[in-house]
Amino acid sequence: MAGEGSQYSFSLTTFSPSGKLVQIEYALKAVGAGATSLGIAASDGVVIATEKKLPSLLVDEGTVKKILMLTPNIGVVYSGMGPDYRVLVRKARKTAQVYYQLYKEHIPVAQLVREVAAVMQEFTQSGGVRPFGVSLMLSGFDDNGPQLYQIDPSGSYFAWKASAIGKNMVNAKTFLEKRYSEEVGIEDAIHTALLTLKEGFEGQLSSSNIEVGIVGADRKFRVLTESEVADYLQEVE
Amino acid sequence: MSRGGGGYDRHITIFSPEGRLFQVEYAFKAVRTCGVTSIGVRGKDCVVFVTQKKVADKLIDASSVTRLFKITKFIGMLITGIMPDAKSIVQQARQQAAEFRFKYGYECPVDYLAKVLADKAQVYTQHAYMRPLGVVSMIIGIDEENGPQLFKVDPAGYYVGYKATSVGGKETEATTVLEKKVKAKPEMTYEEAVQTAIAALQGVLSEEFKASEIEVGVVRAGFMDGSFHVLSNEEVETHLSVISERD
Repeated sequence: MAGEGSQYSFSLTTFSPSGKLVQIEYALKAVGAGATSLGIAASDGVVIATEKKLPSLLVDEGTVKKILMLTPNIGVVYSGMGPDYRVLVRKARKTAQVYYQLYKEHIPVAQLVREVAAVMQEFTQSGGVRPFGVSLMLSGFDDNGPQLYQIDPSGSYFAWKASAIGKNMVNAKTFLEKRYSEEVGIEDAIHTALLTLKEGFEGQLSSSNIEVGIVGADRKFRVLTESEVADYLQEVE
Repeated sequence: MSRGGGGYDRHITIFSPEGRLFQVEYAFKAVRTCGVTSIGVRGKDCVVFVTQKKVADKLIDASSVTRLFKITKFIGMLITGIMPDAKSIVQQARQQAAEFRFKYGYECPVDYLAKVLADKAQVYTQHAYMRPLGVVSMIIGIDEENGPQLFKVDPAGYYVGYKATSVGGKETEATTVLEKKVKAKPEMTYEEAVQTAIAALQGVLSEEFKASEIEVGVVRAGFMDGSFHVLSNEEVETHLSVISERD
């Protein structure tokens, strides 16, 4: 899949003498510089959340949406380069629609993850392109129950019970490891998610500088409104 | 181990060892060093932007030099950076907006246009065969649902809506000034918005402008159907007088 009109018929991502694909490692650095995002798979749903770090108070926060819906029952969030994220969201939505058009059923979470990961892998091997500088956290609820997937710039993906990506991922994951349990319900998961974000947050956590998305047994993914987030924050305080 | 990127990370848009895209950063530098500063301010029912008009040579026909472009009747664009790249993005914007109007039967929303341009900019940051454009675009318009909108699109493919923003050589200083002004007065009238923008520009450049040295573009809800228009020298002069009398 070479770019249109490109002169590059060779891959820019090549092996180093030690057998590493350094462009992918550098892409992970770009992810690690991004705002923290996390996800928790509960027994009856999945929650994803992210810091909304705006560069200035002149920015109109209403125009910034990091958590997006891919299908009515699948949502996604990222850490890393926003513009690259938009490209993947568009491709993922298209993939989901193509599936729906063919089968008249919503695409299973695992299959969507596989397709998106395949795209990300293509960009580590195709001519004249660089890898995506984002890691994605996909949350969905389908016939296999609640699922949380993380996809990295290399295109590798894993299903997680709970995970974090971005600047504060190490501390966040340690925090999650301590607090996670299989039987936790979605309400508790939301509280845990907020507490985890709070751990590494510089400044005061408020409903206007974080975004939270949930999908429950009703299989309807949605982004919580600011007032809902504020209520949960109050419960956590 | 050899230095990452084989030394090419500065020449094409591949990642540097720190996970940066140098070509994108250099594109930003090109915008900052282009020698002008621009400011955009969103009011309660209007959006304005203002930029310096620098004509390189006295023999140049000044009326042909402009960085303000009408994309549709209702959307205006102010471009700061390399002029040939600016002309290219204006063409793309006009085409996209016209196509939208044709396909869907209603005016292209400002945020949609910003997204389309930002997505195009992102492609240049990922494909090695095209360099990023050395321009930052400010797009203004009155949206049917969301009211006055001010968007900024940059070489990284980043776009977001603003209450006020600045681009160019003095953008950091201007942003500081604008933050204070917007905090003090979040909902400005048309006159306040225009004067805030011009005064801020004069302040950071420590210059008092003549009407011929700046360009001002506005959209006002309910005024001329909310269409985009560039202020004439006389209208600019009026605002400049108000500002100088105030000080």
